[in-house]
Amino acid sequence: MRISRIIGSAMLALVIFQACEKNEAPVVVATLTEKTVSGIPADTIVGLVNGQPVGAGKFTFFSFETNAVVPSTDSNSVKWDVAVRGTAIITNGGNSGPGVGGAFVYVGTFDDVKAVPKDSVFRQDNAPVSYAVPNSSNKGWYVYNPVSMLITPVPGRVLVFKTAKGKYAKVEILNYYKGGITPAATATDAEKLKNQRYYSFRFAYQADGTMNFK
Amino acid sequence: MTTVAYAQRGGDSSQTNLDEVVVTATRTPRSMGNIAIPVAVISSKTIYQSGSLRLHDILAEQTGIQVIDNFGKGIQVQGLSSEYTLILIDGEPLIGRTAGVLDLSKITVKNIRKIEIVKGPSSSLYGSEAMGGVINIITDRAGQNKTDLGLRYGRFNTVDGNLNFSRRLNKTDLAASLNYNQSKGYSLKPNAVQKTVEPFRRSTQNLSVHQQLGSYWKAGASFRANASQIDNTIFVQNLGTTIASKGFEKNKEYNFTPYLQFNKEQKIKSILRGYLTGFNAVQQLAVKNATGGYDDRFKQLFARVENQTDWQITENAAFTSGAGIVRETVRSNRYDTASTLRTNSIAYFFVQHEQKFSSKFTWIGGLRFDANQAYASVWSPKIAFQFKPSGKLKLNVSYGRGFKAPDFRQLYLNFTNLAAGAYSVFGSEVAVNELKRLSAAQLLDQTTALVGNLSALKPEVSGGLNAGIVYTLSAKSQFTANVFRNDLKNMIVTDIIAFKKNGGQIYSYFNLKRALTQGVELGAQQKIGQWIQLNAGYQFLYTADKEVLQSIKKGEVFQRSLTNGQAYRMSLSGYGGLPNRSRHTANLKFNAENAKGYFSTIRFIYRSRWGTSDLDGNGLINRSDEYAKGYVQVNASVGLPLASHWKCMAGIDNLFNYKDIPFLPGNPGRTAYIDIQFIF
Repeated sequence: MRISRIIGSAMLALVIFQACEKNEAPVVVATLTEKTVSGIPADTIVGLVNGQPVGAGKFTFFSFETNAVVPSTDSNSVKWDVAVRGTAIITNGGNSGPGVGGAFVYVGTFDDVKAVPKDSVFRQDNAPVSYAVPNSSNKGWYVYNPVSMLITPVPGRVLVFKTAKGKYAKVEILNYYKGGITPAATATDAEKLKNQRYYSFRFAYQADGTMNFK
Repeated sequence: MTTVAYAQRGGDSSQTNLDEVVVTATRTPRSMGNIAIPVAVISSKTIYQSGSLRLHDILAEQTGIQVIDNFGKGIQVQGLSSEYTLILIDGEPLIGRTAGVLDLSKITVKNIRKIEIVKGPSSSLYGSEAMGGVINIITDRAGQNKTDLGLRYGRFNTVDGNLNFSRRLNKTDLAASLNYNQSKGYSLKPNAVQKTVEPFRRSTQNLSVHQQLGSYWKAGASFRANASQIDNTIFVQNLGTTIASKGFEKNKEYNFTPYLQFNKEQKIKSILRGYLTGFNAVQQLAVKNATGGYDDRFKQLFARVENQTDWQITENAAFTSGAGIVRETVRSNRYDTASTLRTNSIAYFFVQHEQKFSSKFTWIGGLRFDANQAYASVWSPKIAFQFKPSGKLKLNVSYGRGFKAPDFRQLYLNFTNLAAGAYSVFGSEVAVNELKRLSAAQLLDQTTALVGNLSALKPEVSGGLNAGIVYTLSAKSQFTANVFRNDLKNMIVTDIIAFKKNGGQIYSYFNLKRALTQGVELGAQQKIGQWIQLNAGYQFLYTADKEVLQSIKKGEVFQRSLTNGQAYRMSLSGYGGLPNRSRHTANLKFNAENAKGYFSTIRFIYRSRWGTSDLDGNGLINRSDEYAKGYVQVNASVGLPLASHWKCMAGIDNLFNYKDIPFLPGNPGRTAYIDIQFIF
């Protein structure tokens, strides 16, 4: 249904385009390129302490502008926009960083977010009391299944970010496991632990400072 | 002569016989042809020829009934899960449910005359639990002057020994039976340390005595005892270390039913019945090479006194009324200490009127009221119409309301799982106090908005509509169809009421969910030639959580693609409904037999895919990998009369060895058995 609607509107656009052709030149709109990132480690498990899995306790920092991981030595700068450690996501703003960043969780598909809604309120981190992206099961971006002990990103949750420098980005988290593949519910505990805390996500970053994602 | 003995054992026909007398549908004896609600009867002959041992074996082959393996063998009727179907033995309810499931494998089918299955809400006669339907197991008649002795051996060292005894002594009728059933269990995964099904032993004893006292009065009593023991050797993998525990599970159950009956020339019949049943479960596990373990005790008692009186007012009008009181008690360390007594008392009455307007049109109306001590009271009405335009065609329509009372678990559970995330579940009656206790101990982090909604639980209720036809083409062929719809509300679900400081979630019970199940059931019977009987059945089933349907319509439900991991909006057709439901189920059974008692059967049982668990984070069944694969199971059997008084049968269940280890752990694969009976 969706595909036929797209084809339909494309054909309609073609008709309009042909109709207008003689009078005016078509307006070219630059579309944002959507990028997909995978394998971003988020404090991967290094061992067990008192039977509980632990990582090294470090965040991994990421910049939407450069589409790259930022070294942790730059953590006190505006070079990064978002950082991940386990299921915790922080933004470069509030008490997490020197930037003006913030975020909120939008309920809808990635494509639904054509622009940041005008009345949006960007929440800021106030660690450890609250975070712009809430870090608990079914409250923010993920759901934890206590039976299978697996973390799954909730479908239809788009994280809309204000970057460290005050620009905008939208993110859909696709997976939390290595290679973008969630282990089977029947996999061993060891396998589930070894492969978790690797983010796969897609994002669109608007470099021109506007709130549009077209 | 063997044939005579055979005919005694399996006197009634395997196909639906409109003259067959059924008691469960109206609580009065009525022939099948005069019942306005969907009823099916399984005869002892069908049970014998199918090689069934336990109740779930034979129910699994019936149209529209699904056996679900979860806390024992439970059943789904019209898409409603096990907790919503009432199971009766000779009209009295069985207790001893675990998480709502009554384990049908504890019921032997070796001493039963027939099974009556009524579909659709029947709370107007039976009260709580009769939402999806009622299954009534009718045991062998007393006073038959026959004895049979049976022994069966099958794969996994399955042994089933059975003795049935029935005598008439002057004016006293007697029946007694003994059953022993055991298996050494099996492992589905090769080299697994833990068995999929652990070794078990079960025994059942029945005794009933009926005494005629003059021409109008009759008195009697039945006693049944049932015991089972399951060995437990459990291995738990916890972050790399294996914890081994050893122990057992013991269940004991007994039922005692004394009665006094007055019966005057079919004009008035009144029966005063007492019923006492107890269920006692103990599970103990000791951790190997370490201290600690598990000790679970559950003791339930159900006592009832009831009178039912039937009046045949005129030839065309019959009236039934009844009233009773129930007292239920539970002691369990799942709730408190094993010595704390939890109780509930119920008082109820019911009435039913049946009116024939002509030879073609009949209506039946019924109403029951249950007043409860521990939760809100309920009215359960039912109305049914029957229209017979010709001798060949019968049309039925019925509407009834059903309910299920909150169980002791939902009211009083006090459970904390220390292994998995330290979560707790508190029954609705104890939740507030438990939160206060945790708060005082500085263990509570925050409560959710739902805390404000904690209140006395209401019974879960349903409304069910059934409309069907029975078309009898000839003595050799019959066709049936029934359309059903059940609307359930106030369904009890668990939800989070608070978080503990250690991150553990606290759950309690709420009347939150609304759901629907609807579908069509079709059946066909055809006799081919002199010897072959063909039975075919099909059910189409659609189920849904109504809140989910609304959210999908509003565009608020999403799913994640298997190929690129991206989320998209879910359509109504993408929603797989309630878990564990198969949209299509069907069966095809061939049965050939001759007058000398030789028979063979082959039965094909089909079940389409069913939802198992959510994998894409939306909490719903939608994606193809969230379903277990559909399958066909083929069962076959042959029977031969050996000599005078002796008969033998053998069979293979699951002929093509279909297995699904994660989703059908109760299916061990191909299973062969041989069964010998001595009748005198």
